[in-house]
Amino acid sequence: MDSQDSSPKQPRPEAVKSTLPQPGRPVPNRAYPGALIVVEGTDGSGKSTQLYLLKRWLEIGGYRLHFTEWNSSPLVKSATRRGKQRRLLTPTTFSLLHAADFADRCERQIMPLLQGDYLVLADRYIYTAFARDGARGCPQKWLRNLYRFAPVPDITFYFRAPLDVAVERILSGRPKLKYYEAGMDLGLSYDRPESFRLFQARILDGYDKMVESDNFVVLDGTLPVNKLQKQMRDIVASKIDLKRFAPRALEAE
Amino acid sequence: MTADEKDKEKEKSTVAEPPTANATPPGMVSKPGASAEEDSSGAFFSAPLVGFDPSEITGTLIVIEGMDGSGRSTQISLLQEWLESEGFAVQTSGLRRSNLVGRDIDQLLAKNAVTRLTLALMYCTDFFDQLEHRILPALKSGAVVLADRYIFTLIARSVVRGINRDYLSGLYAMALRPHLTFWLNVRPETAFGREFRKAQAISYWEAGRDMSLSHDLYWSFVRYQTMIKREFEAVAKRHNFLELDGEANVSTVNKLLRQRIADQLGIRSTKYTPSSALAHLWR
Repeated sequence: MDSQDSSPKQPRPEAVKSTLPQPGRPVPNRAYPGALIVVEGTDGSGKSTQLYLLKRWLEIGGYRLHFTEWNSSPLVKSATRRGKQRRLLTPTTFSLLHAADFADRCERQIMPLLQGDYLVLADRYIYTAFARDGARGCPQKWLRNLYRFAPVPDITFYFRAPLDVAVERILSGRPKLKYYEAGMDLGLSYDRPESFRLFQARILDGYDKMVESDNFVVLDGTLPVNKLQKQMRDIVASKIDLKRFAPRALEAE
Repeated sequence: MTADEKDKEKEKSTVAEPPTANATPPGMVSKPGASAEEDSSGAFFSAPLVGFDPSEITGTLIVIEGMDGSGRSTQISLLQEWLESEGFAVQTSGLRRSNLVGRDIDQLLAKNAVTRLTLALMYCTDFFDQLEHRILPALKSGAVVLADRYIFTLIARSVVRGINRDYLSGLYAMALRPHLTFWLNVRPETAFGREFRKAQAISYWEAGRDMSLSHDLYWSFVRYQTMIKREFEAVAKRHNFLELDGEANVSTVNKLLRQRIADQLGIRSTKYTPSSALAHLWR
């Protein structure tokens, strides 16, 4: 990225040369050799547990992989935390801050690793924003544009659990729901668990609408953990050429 | 999965939609309250802001754009004093002044670890936080908002860094359309001298050094600011920029600004002499 040009006339045409996805243009097919697997679903759908087990399976097998989580960029985290604590966030700024977080991980981790031939596992991806920010009233058209720079996943697992099951899992294990987590900013109900339930119903609806258009692989979140994991591993093995991400020694065999 | 299957799947599942046709209806909103009733979508660039009713706007949004060293902040100080002397409540806004992320952006800029898209989105967050928590509340209460730069600078900076223009227009689709947008146009060479005198140095970002245009600071500044200036020229007509010669005297530029604003707000007299507190700005 350093400037080699000493001729004063030509600004470097970085946009054209760059192999990173250009915001506003779809990521070209096979712009990178790596593969991207993402999990989506409402809170309590079991997606994080399942992705963790998938990660362990691949790690133990020695595959080259990277794990990334929604809302975890160190550069943006403090702003998000402050915004939530002081309740400064509106649907628009809530959405934009999460997009900034995603952009940072996308530009500094996801894209470089996909180009470096890694398997990238993402716990929540852009569909979380489409479902959740959509539930807050952000227009879908605006949201889709906002995340246009994101590479399209090779597999998107959607863990679908009925509202009651998912909500019960969260409420039984958590002493107190956080303000934004419960969707209190939407003014659906003064009762936090009730607000959470109504908010999650909207999100579930948002996810269901994307199943077809965004090629979700739907898995039943109510199945026993090990059974579900078996399904997940079978699908990964059938859709992705895992040998490519194996350690060099194994590859040679 | 074979390569072909993979291709097909990607085609089907592609996230991208066709670029948003960024509606930029011609003609500016001339009377704040009235036009909002006529066409509620006209108050915003192309989509209404979530949870906000534009018919509540009774104030006036005035934007001053121009590169570093074009005299924006000097003019805003003077205009604020003049408007207050005329009995108008004034609110100001500017880049990186939001409570939400203003300081976070300062830190990102200082550390220089941030990439262009993340930075663009942080500035966008900063903009909407100010729009929702500072600009709109002031406009609802009938104040005059003087904005020291607006989305035009933010879009131009990202466009020259290779981010797609449609993408950016889409991001700012929910920005409020200003009632007046002034553009203080100066030559980058003049701006360089003015900026240098302020701090006896030129900052990394002012000179666009992240773009690796030149190792020479002067040339880096001039080339970067020229690129931004070209972007402004490209959108000036579409967004009804009122262009002023930023190289003229402070008092001359201020008079032109006052005349146009007085017209907008229905102020009869445009007479103004700065108070002793601001007299040093009057050249």
